[in-house]
Amino acid sequence: MRGVPVGRRNLLSEWRRAFLGIAGVATAILLVLALDGLFAGAMNQITRIIDTSPADVFVAQRGVRNMHMATSAIPASEVEAIRRMPGVRWADPILYDTDAVVGKTAARQLSYVIGYLPGRAGGPVKIARGHEPGPGEIVIDQRAASRLGVTLGGQVRTLGASWRVSGFTTGLVNIVNSVSYVRLGDFEAARGIRGVVSFVLVGAAGNPETLAGHISTELDLSALSRPRFSAQERRVVSDMSTDLMRIMTIAAFSIGLAVIGLTLHAATLSRLREIGVMKALGARSGRLSRIVLSQAGWTIGAGVAFAVPLTAALGWAVLRATGNVTLALTAGSVIRAAGGAVVLGGIGAVAPLLMIARVDPMTVFRRQQ
Amino acid sequence: MRGRVPIARRNLLADRRRLATGVFGVGVSIALIFLLQGLWGGVLKQASAYEDGVGAQLWVGDRGTSNTFESSVVPLTAVDRIRAIPGVDRADPILIRSTVLTLHGRKVLASVIGSRPGAMGGAWSLPVGRAPRSNGEIVVDRGLAAQHGIGLGGRIEVAGEAFAVVGLSAGTRSWMGAYVFMTFDAARNLFHFPDAAAFVLVRTQHPSSVAGAIERQTGLSAVLRETIRRNDRTLLAGVMKGPLDLMVAIAFAAGTMIVALTIYSAVVERAREYGIVKALGTSGTRLLRIVLGQTSALAALGVAAGYVIFRGAAALVVRLRPQFLVSLAGSRILWVVAAAGLMAVLAAILPARRIAQLDPATVYRG
Repeated sequence: MRGVPVGRRNLLSEWRRAFLGIAGVATAILLVLALDGLFAGAMNQITRIIDTSPADVFVAQRGVRNMHMATSAIPASEVEAIRRMPGVRWADPILYDTDAVVGKTAARQLSYVIGYLPGRAGGPVKIARGHEPGPGEIVIDQRAASRLGVTLGGQVRTLGASWRVSGFTTGLVNIVNSVSYVRLGDFEAARGIRGVVSFVLVGAAGNPETLAGHISTELDLSALSRPRFSAQERRVVSDMSTDLMRIMTIAAFSIGLAVIGLTLHAATLSRLREIGVMKALGARSGRLSRIVLSQAGWTIGAGVAFAVPLTAALGWAVLRATGNVTLALTAGSVIRAAGGAVVLGGIGAVAPLLMIARVDPMTVFRRQQ
Repeated sequence: MRGRVPIARRNLLADRRRLATGVFGVGVSIALIFLLQGLWGGVLKQASAYEDGVGAQLWVGDRGTSNTFESSVVPLTAVDRIRAIPGVDRADPILIRSTVLTLHGRKVLASVIGSRPGAMGGAWSLPVGRAPRSNGEIVVDRGLAAQHGIGLGGRIEVAGEAFAVVGLSAGTRSWMGAYVFMTFDAARNLFHFPDAAAFVLVRTQHPSSVAGAIERQTGLSAVLRETIRRNDRTLLAGVMKGPLDLMVAIAFAAGTMIVALTIYSAVVERAREYGIVKALGTSGTRLLRIVLGQTSALAALGVAAGYVIFRGAAALVVRLRPQFLVSLAGSRILWVVAAAGLMAVLAAILPARRIAQLDPATVYRG
C-alpha cells in the first residue's frame, strides 16, 4: 500500500501560502542564477572576438596574455621574424586601442578600435552590410551604429580623427563596449605610431600549442593558442568578479533560507493538531520528519523549476531592453544553485523538526483554541 | 469601551519565531539592497579617485576627449604651449594605460600612470616610501601590496618588465583593480608610446577661462575636473548600472514575497478570529488597515534589521576585502525606506484578498 503524501498535501492545503513560499524560493534562486548568468554572458561576449578569429596563435608583448583592458606593444620587425618561423602559415599584425566612437549627435560608444590589413586576418570575420574599410573608412557594429544614429556612408569620430562608415558587423557589442575596424596604416597615422604593432595573429601549419611555445621561447614574446588566450581573457573577468559574486551569493542564499524556513514553519504550525493525531496513531518520528523534509523538497524543487525558465525569460527581456547585456543560463550554474537550495532546505527544516518532536499526542484530545 | 483592540500588533506578535524569521528574511533582502547601493556608491567614488586626488583642475586631451577611459594622444610639444598661457600655474604630461598584472596566479587589472618625477600626476598619498625617480622604479597600492606580500624593495612585473617597489600609495585601489605609478619615460618605453602624452594636467585658479584659452590656442580639448569625473562615472554607470538595477529589483521582489508570506501565514492561522471580527460588522477598510498595519510594521522592522545587517556586512566586506569601498548616501537610505513602503503595500494584496474572501459564518463552524 502506498503511503499518503502528507507532506505535499500539507504544503498545498493553503495554495496561496504555497505559492508565496515557492515564489520566494524561486526569487532567491533567480538572484543567484541571474548574477551567475550576467557574468557568464559577459564572458562569452568578451571572448567572442577571440573565439571567432581565424588565428591559431595570438602573439603579444612579453607578460601580456589577454586583450581586454590590456596594452601590448611589439616591434613591427617581429612580424617578419614570426613569418619566417617553421610551422607558421601566415602572420598578420593588428593595432588595438580602446576609444569612444562618437556619432554626429555626440552620442558615444566605447569601442575596441582595431587597425588591420584589409583582406588579411585581424579584420571582421563577417561584414553584414557594406565593405571592408578603405582609406579614411571604418567598419562598426550595426547595433552601435543605431545607438550612434549613424548609417552607411555616415561620419564618426574616433582616435582623434573623422571616419566614413563603410560597413557594419554584427554581434560584437558587449556589456562594456563594441569593436570597430580601420586600416592599419590609418590607425598608425591617427595615433602617430611607427614601427610598433599591438598583437600578431598567426595561422599554424601544425599543432598551435607547439608553435606558441616556439614563438615564446625564440622571440621573447608572449604567445598563446586561441583556446588558452580565450581562457586568459575569461580569467581577467572571473578573477575581478569572484569576490563580488561571493558576497551576492551569500546574500541570495540567506534570503532563500529565510523563505524556506518561513514556509516550512507555517506549514508545520498549521498542521500541528494533525501531527498530534498521527503521533497518537503510532507514527514514528522518522515518518514525521520525512513529512517535513518532503515539504522542503517540494518547495525547493518547485522553486528551482520556476526559477530556471524565469531566468531564461529575464535574459530574453534584458537583452531586448538593453541590446548588449546577455544573461547566459548554464547547466553548471543551475546545478550549483539547486545544490545550494537543497542545503538551505535541510537547514530550514531544523526548526519544524524540533517542533514536531515536541508535539504531545494528547493535543488531539484537547479542544481547538 | 475606549480605544480599539490592536489586532494588527497582536496578530504580528502572536508567533515570535515566525516574526523573527520574517524580520530576518526581509532584513537580508533590505541589507542586500543597501549593500548594492553602498557598493555602487563606492564604485563611483573609486572611479574618480585619480581625478579627485591628483590636484589638477583641467585635463587636456586630444580633440573630443571627455573621459579617462578613452584613448587620448597629446603631442609633447603642446605642454610648453599650454604652460605659456596666462593663468596656467602648472602643466604636466601624464600617460595612462591599462594592463593586467598576474599576482600569485590571480589577474589584477591595473591602471599604469606615468608622470615626471616631481611633477603633478603621481600618487597623491604616499604613506610608505617615495615616488619613482628612475625608470626601473614603481609605486603600488598599499592594500594590493599587503594582499600579495609585496614590500618596499620588492619587485613586481608589469607587461613583462620587472620594477622595484619604492613606495606604497593609499586610496589608489578599487574592486576592479589598482593604480600603479612609474616615471613618464618608463611608461612610454613599456608601452612603446609615441612622442606624446595621454593627457596634460593643468593647475589653475581660473579653470573655465583657461580651458577656453587652451582650446583656442592648441585645438585640444580642455576638460574641467568636475566634467571628466562626471563623464567617467556616467561611462561606468552605462556599463554596470543595468545589472545592478536588475539585482536590486530581484532583492526587492524577494523582500516583498517574505513580507507577504509572513503576514499571509499569520492571517491564515487567525482566520477564525478574522471571521469573528467580520461577523461583528467590521468594515473592509478597517480589515485592510489591519493587514497593511502588519505588512508595514514588518517592513519597518525589516528596514531596521536590514540596516544593522548591512552595517555588519559592510564592515566585514571591507575588512576581508579592502579593495571594496562601501559608501551609502543619505538619499539612498531614504530611497530604500520608500522601497520598503512599497514592499508593504504590495505584500498586503494576497493577505487582504484572503480576509476579503472569508465567510463570517466561519466563526460558527467547529
